[in-house]
Amino acid sequence: MDQYKNFKSEDFVWDSFFRQWVLTPTRESDQVWNDWLLQNPEISDLVYTARQTVLALKVQDTEISSREIERIISKTVGSINQPYERETILTDVAQNRFYQRSWFQFAASVLLIVAAGLWLKFYDGSFQNSESKIASLLSGKVEKGLIERVNDSSQPMEVWLEDSSRITLAPKSRISYPEKFSGAKREVSLHGEAFFEISKDPQQPFFVYSNELITKVLGTSFTIKAFDSSRQVTVEVKTGRVSVFAKSDPNLRSKIRSRELSGIVLSPNQKIIFERDQMRMVKTLVEKPQIILPKAQIPHFEFEDTPASEAFLSIGKAYGIDILFDEDLLKECPLTATLDNQTLHEKLSIICSAVESTYEILDGQVIVHSKGCRN
Amino acid sequence: MDFSYPYPGSSDEKLVWQRFLAGQPEAFEKLMSTHFRSLFQYGSKFSKDKEFVKDSIQDLFLILWEKRENLSSDIVVKSYLMASLRRLMHRSTTTRSRLFDNASPEDEGVFEIEFSVEEHYIESESAFMLTEKVRKMLSELPRRQKEVVYLKFFQDLDRNQISEVMEVSPQTVSNLLQIAIKQLRTYWKAEFLILLTIHLFI
Repeated sequence: MDQYKNFKSEDFVWDSFFRQWVLTPTRESDQVWNDWLLQNPEISDLVYTARQTVLALKVQDTEISSREIERIISKTVGSINQPYERETILTDVAQNRFYQRSWFQFAASVLLIVAAGLWLKFYDGSFQNSESKIASLLSGKVEKGLIERVNDSSQPMEVWLEDSSRITLAPKSRISYPEKFSGAKREVSLHGEAFFEISKDPQQPFFVYSNELITKVLGTSFTIKAFDSSRQVTVEVKTGRVSVFAKSDPNLRSKIRSRELSGIVLSPNQKIIFERDQMRMVKTLVEKPQIILPKAQIPHFEFEDTPASEAFLSIGKAYGIDILFDEDLLKECPLTATLDNQTLHEKLSIICSAVESTYEILDGQVIVHSKGCRN
Repeated sequence: MDFSYPYPGSSDEKLVWQRFLAGQPEAFEKLMSTHFRSLFQYGSKFSKDKEFVKDSIQDLFLILWEKRENLSSDIVVKSYLMASLRRLMHRSTTTRSRLFDNASPEDEGVFEIEFSVEEHYIESESAFMLTEKVRKMLSELPRRQKEVVYLKFFQDLDRNQISEVMEVSPQTVSNLLQIAIKQLRTYWKAEFLILLTIHLFI
């Protein structure tokens, strides 16, 4: 380790052994570096500075969702099982892609113009058709071309849709969906409980019709409970955002048609409860909120003389939940606690009792009431 | 679906590769889901066209599957896939620009990479300044040095793997790395002072 004695911060930043310790520490490397730092306290400032730099400096990556990856993979895996299709894909590559040839581009644009004309001509007709389809889904009738799956077993049942969305259907539940999604919407109807993992496609929003409630998503995962026998319909979001509205909503049509999510929007760890007899919706948090950050980015909830305001911020970020508090009051409240293994509610209760505050859940947010700690 | 990332070069990964060569569709799926994200991110450095990158990765796996009987079983999968994707994309980029007749010399061998700073790791002023400086110096490196630094420090490839990916000799990799690191370590006093002064006045 002697060579490190004359290192400057930037030398540490580009040292492989040092980076390895910072990014993927092991018990051995921890021991080596901590021992060495104890013997060389004068360098520890440099080392900690370099350490923050190594951690903070990230390559800015182009984003792609897991859903999208899943969709491409299942498409590709599907094509290796069909020899014919595989061959065409390979010839495409060999010939620099069929669709880039100019005669093909010309033909395609002619076709597009003709299709646009036809579409304009028949637009009214086709539109009416989709409205009537909604109507039939609303009334729960099974239309021709719809598949209905019923789970009579005692185990959850997996249902795959054509767009590679996955639905886990709970026992005593049934779902109906079209063989093929066409038009501007993907629509299914549910009686009972199901967990949905919907593949992302903003051009074709996904709708779930369940009793009095309509849930609209662009691509996300969530659970709906809508048993005919129950007084409530609930929607709980795990990832992404969904919007929910009642079938009795006067603006139903425009909400369904709009490209954005309107109505009540739920984010991860939020839940909507629809009281069927009162026709009333309440937004709250799911019972056991989960951390939404990827594993590698979860911070340690170890606080030592940390302002309570910072603790709330880091917890709110990890769970993707808005925690509202008076920053000026709470930054005067020092907190010392280790809260890695507690649930969200335990974390909040412990912090609140430490800094003499209380909290409540209102409209899917956490609100902290405090009188401050300056005495 | 579970996207787990086994250690590069681990025996587990070798096993999946061997099963892929033996023609098992499950291994095809596993291989693709393990590597898709990092290949996508690597490919995006060569082209901003997301669809093109996705298509290229899909083609890559289909081509490998097609000629699996002629492939070696004893390889480091990660760098092999990266090298193959790089070749495939460069080939199609050249033919693409020829087809559309808008080939510009700069199109040859783009490697666009941007670095960002995750501020929640930064606790001190000195760390902030160091990180900003390193980021700036990284972005000023010439293209090939950037790629070498990226593969070495952000993709954890060793010298031989980098030489395979970039199609240059291992000696060239060492040289490129040495020059890059030397540049990155240069303590630029003037800039440090300017930054410090600006900070004092804000």
